[in-house]
This record gives sequence, structure tokens and C-alpha cells, in this order.
Amino acid sequence: MVQISNLTDIIPQVREFENTDYYEQSTKIYFLRNFTIEMIEPYLKYNLYSNGIKPEVIFGEYDVINQELLDPQSNLHKVNPEIIILAMFMDNFVPELLSSKDELIDFLSDLDEQFELLLVNTDSLIILNTFIPSMYSEWGIASLSHVSKSEYIICKINQHIREYVSNHSDRFFLVDWERLIRILGEENSIDYRFWYSSRAPFKNAFLDLYSREITKIVRALKGLSKKCVILDCDNTLWGGVVGEDGLDGIKLDKHSYPGRVFFDFQKNLLYLYERGVLITLCSKNNEEDVWEVLDNHPYSLLKRSHLTGWRINWENKVKNIESLARELNIGLDSMVLVDDSPVECGQVKQYLPDVTVITVPQKLYIYPPLLLRDGLFDTLNFSSEDKNRTQMYQSEARRKQDQKQFSSIDDYLASLELVETIHPIRPGEIARVAQLTQKTNQFNLTTRRYSEADIKRFADDPDAAIYVLYVNDRYGEYGLTGILIARFEDHKCILDSFLLSCRILGRKLEKVFVFHCMKEIIKSHNISQWQAEYIPSKKNQQVMSFWEDMGFTLQSKGNGIKKYSLATSEFKPEQIDFIKIVEE
Amino acid sequence: MEERVKRIMAEILGIKQESINSKTTPDTVKEWDSLKHMQLILALEEEFSVEIPDEFIDKMLNVDMIFSVLRNLVE
Repeated sequence: MVQISNLTDIIPQVREFENTDYYEQSTKIYFLRNFTIEMIEPYLKYNLYSNGIKPEVIFGEYDVINQELLDPQSNLHKVNPEIIILAMFMDNFVPELLSSKDELIDFLSDLDEQFELLLVNTDSLIILNTFIPSMYSEWGIASLSHVSKSEYIICKINQHIREYVSNHSDRFFLVDWERLIRILGEENSIDYRFWYSSRAPFKNAFLDLYSREITKIVRALKGLSKKCVILDCDNTLWGGVVGEDGLDGIKLDKHSYPGRVFFDFQKNLLYLYERGVLITLCSKNNEEDVWEVLDNHPYSLLKRSHLTGWRINWENKVKNIESLARELNIGLDSMVLVDDSPVECGQVKQYLPDVTVITVPQKLYIYPPLLLRDGLFDTLNFSSEDKNRTQMYQSEARRKQDQKQFSSIDDYLASLELVETIHPIRPGEIARVAQLTQKTNQFNLTTRRYSEADIKRFADDPDAAIYVLYVNDRYGEYGLTGILIARFEDHKCILDSFLLSCRILGRKLEKVFVFHCMKEIIKSHNISQWQAEYIPSKKNQQVMSFWEDMGFTLQSKGNGIKKYSLATSEFKPEQIDFIKIVEE
Repeated sequence: MEERVKRIMAEILGIKQESINSKTTPDTVKEWDSLKHMQLILALEEEFSVEIPDEFIDKMLNVDMIFSVLRNLVE
């Protein structure tokens, strides 16, 4: 039930987007291709602009992929794109192309060579695709008694591509064309007319869907992934109204309709939970009615232990959502509300425009996969922190509960028994570090987003250093939650990035972390001068005076960017007694 | 129908709808290249829910020709 956009609607909208100046994010995408793909441009631009990302889209020459990669003077290398899309269309209407097993092996090794070229000759992230199997079997109805050759070959090639991507997940991503064709059907995807006349094989529907998949990857890369889902209860988590219909009356039974729709919706919700998405409730109910369902309904897959927060009361939903955001310390723009009431949805859209709102559709049967379909919560990779996130937030709730016993904040912080573990980055931490640079918005001095490949480069560079911070206290572990990236030029140290995950803020951990890193750097490098920056974004106002607080001197200010310096001789780290430091 | 055709031509080619007349052709509009032509065909097909056979595609090079091909297909 994908709604495909009309070309005549989106082209004028793209023009309008292009005349708007301000976008928080931008990207540069280069197509290396062996067919006519230019017609994707309006769809791709439309989808990226709609997500707040200003794109530049450049098409390489027709079918000269290896030449562009090999020639250091080529346009590809001049452009130096953030993302390369290697779009390859296999002329699989002619299955004789590969007639023997040896030819298949040769073909696969040619593919690998091309991928290696991309890996070695560029710094970009690379998006590959799978090939599309032919629609009809060359053996006709007797194909089962033969091994249908082209089906077998395409299947092998696609498997090879998927494995390559999964083994190189720091640089390579995949848009699985075969899956897109499953969604749309080949007849809605391939335009044989323009394929034969102009080597332009795709219909608009396919180009639109392809663009959306690319956009999901770029969005995750730019830190725009949603972190939290807020659920209404009645007619959202189950059918009916629990306060009136009772535990036995609500529709959630997987053996009947519409119960099984809600059952499947909950099943998909738990996939998000597994990925580390925070699950919260915000509904107008009696609290005990809701717990009755979650604790005792035989088909409620969602349990109280999956939740990181809830507002079950009769108050205004806008206020409730704001207070949930404060409690979890996340931005409204990382929250998604699912609710069946058009009135409540409308209010939230109006008063909290940053919250993404999904209304339970009238056609209930399209409801279950909605949260997965649009990739709102997609991240580029998974780290162990994702899996433990809910537990971490639950310990946080206990901390807040206990905090009420203390009269002063310092007494409370001392009671936490905070421990910081700080060390230079290790190989197993690269994915998490990249993810943090992509996702951290609030406590982030420069908001520079880095891919895994970028982080690896810093880690291997003798003129750079990355320090990571782990925090734990007597309630539990917060995991890897802080990063400092430094670059060295002669006797100067440039603090390129400094960021902390929002779940450890307000404990003076940042001071201890930055001072400790600086001390370590002084021990191993001959540094006389320090440079630091604050680059404003929509969300990082809370750190605009951070470097002043650390004793740095403001040197210049322009466009909101503040540049600082500090001489090592002036460096006087403050002592904070209630935080213990461990070096590992 | 003619106005709908002109509107689509204007949007796809990025030109003013009032400026379109029978002299508006790929030779006089520099944006109207072969890619834009394919886009134009696809947009017209979307708008009028028709499929334009490929022998007509290369002939639809001004508003009158486009109009006459579409009229035959729609009727």
C-alpha cells in the first residue's frame, strides 16, 4: 500500500525546496551507473529535502564506472561525494549471458574487483543494489525439471552482493532491488519501452521507492533516526476501549479479526524494542486498566517491562508528551506518536510540530507494518548499547525516584558513586563511536557526523586521537556514552569533537572527562596550545558556554561559531571528588 | 485538456504556462532534452491514465502534437 508520488506534484515542490536557503543537513550523492538513471533525480531530491537534507545529485558518465574510479582526474574524484551509489542494471532479459559456471565465477570476481576499487580509490560511503531476476523462466512450465538457469545465476549473484555488504558494513550499504520488486511487482517497476529505446528501465513507482530507500540510509547517517515511540492504548495497542469493554472484551486475540491486526502490530513493536527504540505510553485511561491488559492479557506481547515511561491520565496529551521528553531527556523531534484519535493527532501536530505523528489507519489491515515500512527508527548499525537501552532508562527512573531523598544536588551526585572509565578507542568500539557522532544532538560541541570509515581513519592516524568514556554508578551501567576526538598539528592540539550522550548529563561528568583526556594528551604529546570550537545547531544551545567553563579563552565569533584557545601553561583542571576515574 | 497538457509541460520543463504555444519545441526550449522528454511522457501518462505507444513518443514535440496523440488515446 505504498503511496507513490506524482511527478507533476513533486517537480514544482523540489523547485520550491531549492529556493529555500536553510537546511540543517546536506549531502553529496554521485551515481556510478551502467544505465539511464537520471530520471530518479526529482524523486531523490524530493525525499531528501522532505527530510530536511539538502542534496547535491551528480550523475557519472554512462557506463564508464571503472574508468571513473581509476582516473584520478575524473569528475568522481573532483566531486569527492559523501555517498556513491553504484547503480547496476543487469541485462537479465538475456539469460544466455552467463552460460557456464566458470563464467559466473569470473563475473563474481569482476564484481569484487569493482567493489575493492570503490573501497580503495574513494572515501565515500557506497550503496549497492541487487539484480532483478527475469520475469519468465526460459524453461517454461518445465523449469522445475531443469534448474532454471537465469534464476539460479541471479540468486547466486545477489547472495554474493548481500554477503559482501554485510562483511563491509562500515562502508557499504544495500538497497535490495529484488525486495522493491517484490513490493511493487515487476510490471509496475520496469518500463520496457524506455528500456529498449533509451536504456531507462525504471517506472516512476520504482524510482520513487528506490529514492525512499536511499533516503532512509542518508537519514540514519545524518542522525535523524527516531528514538522513541509514544503509544496511545485503546484502538492503538488493542481494539476497543478497555475501560468499557473490559479485559475480555478488547480485541487482541490472534485467532480473530481485528484482534490479530493489533497482535501483529505489537509483534512489530517488539522488533523495535529489540533494536533499542524506547517504548512509551501516553493515553487517557485509568492506569490500573492498562496494567491489567499488559500484565494479564494472554495475547498482549507488550509487557510493562518493555516500557521506559508512561503518562496514563486524563490530562492534555501535548503536556504529557512534553513531560515524557523531559523525563527521558530526548528531543521532541526524535519521538513518534501513534494514536487513533484524529483530534489528538491534530493537536500534537499543531502544538508539537517536531513530533512525528502516525494516525492508526482506517484500513486496519495496513496498520501492522507501518512502523517498520518508513524506516523512521532505522540506524546504520547496531551496537550492544542499543539492546540494553531500555534497562538503562529504567535504572535512570529509579535514580530519579531516589533523588527526592536528597536536599542538595551534590549530596545526590555523591550518593551515586559515579565511575568514569576512559581509554583510547579500541577496534570493537568503532561502530558505537560512529553511531554516537551520528545521533548525539544536545551535548555536542561541533555536531560533526562521522561514518565508521571516518572513525577508523582517525583511529589509525598518528596525528589524531579518540578517547571514549564509559560511565557506571551503583544503579548500573550507562555504557559507552562520551567521545573526544583530537587532532595534532605540531605543538597544537585541536579538539575536533566532544560529545556526551544525553542520558549522562547533569552529573559534571563532562568536566572530569575532558580534563582527564587533556592530561593524557599532555603526557603523550608535546602540546603547548589548544584549540576548540562551538558550532551552533538547532539543539546544542546548552553547551554554548562549555569551553568558557573549562577555562578556554574566546578568540573569535562569526556566524554563531565560537573559536577558543588555551595555552597548556594556563591549563588548571578542576578537581571533582565524587567521581572516580578508572583507566583501562 | 489543452490546459492540463500545458500545465504539465510548464511544470516538467520549468517554463511559464502562458508562454507555451505551437512554436514551443525542443529546438526552442533549451531545458527540453531527451531526459525531460521521457519525464514529460511519464507525467502525461500519469495525468491522463494512458500508455503512450513508443511510435508516437518521438512525434510529441509540441503542444498540438501532444494534444492530438492524447485525444486519440483518451477517446
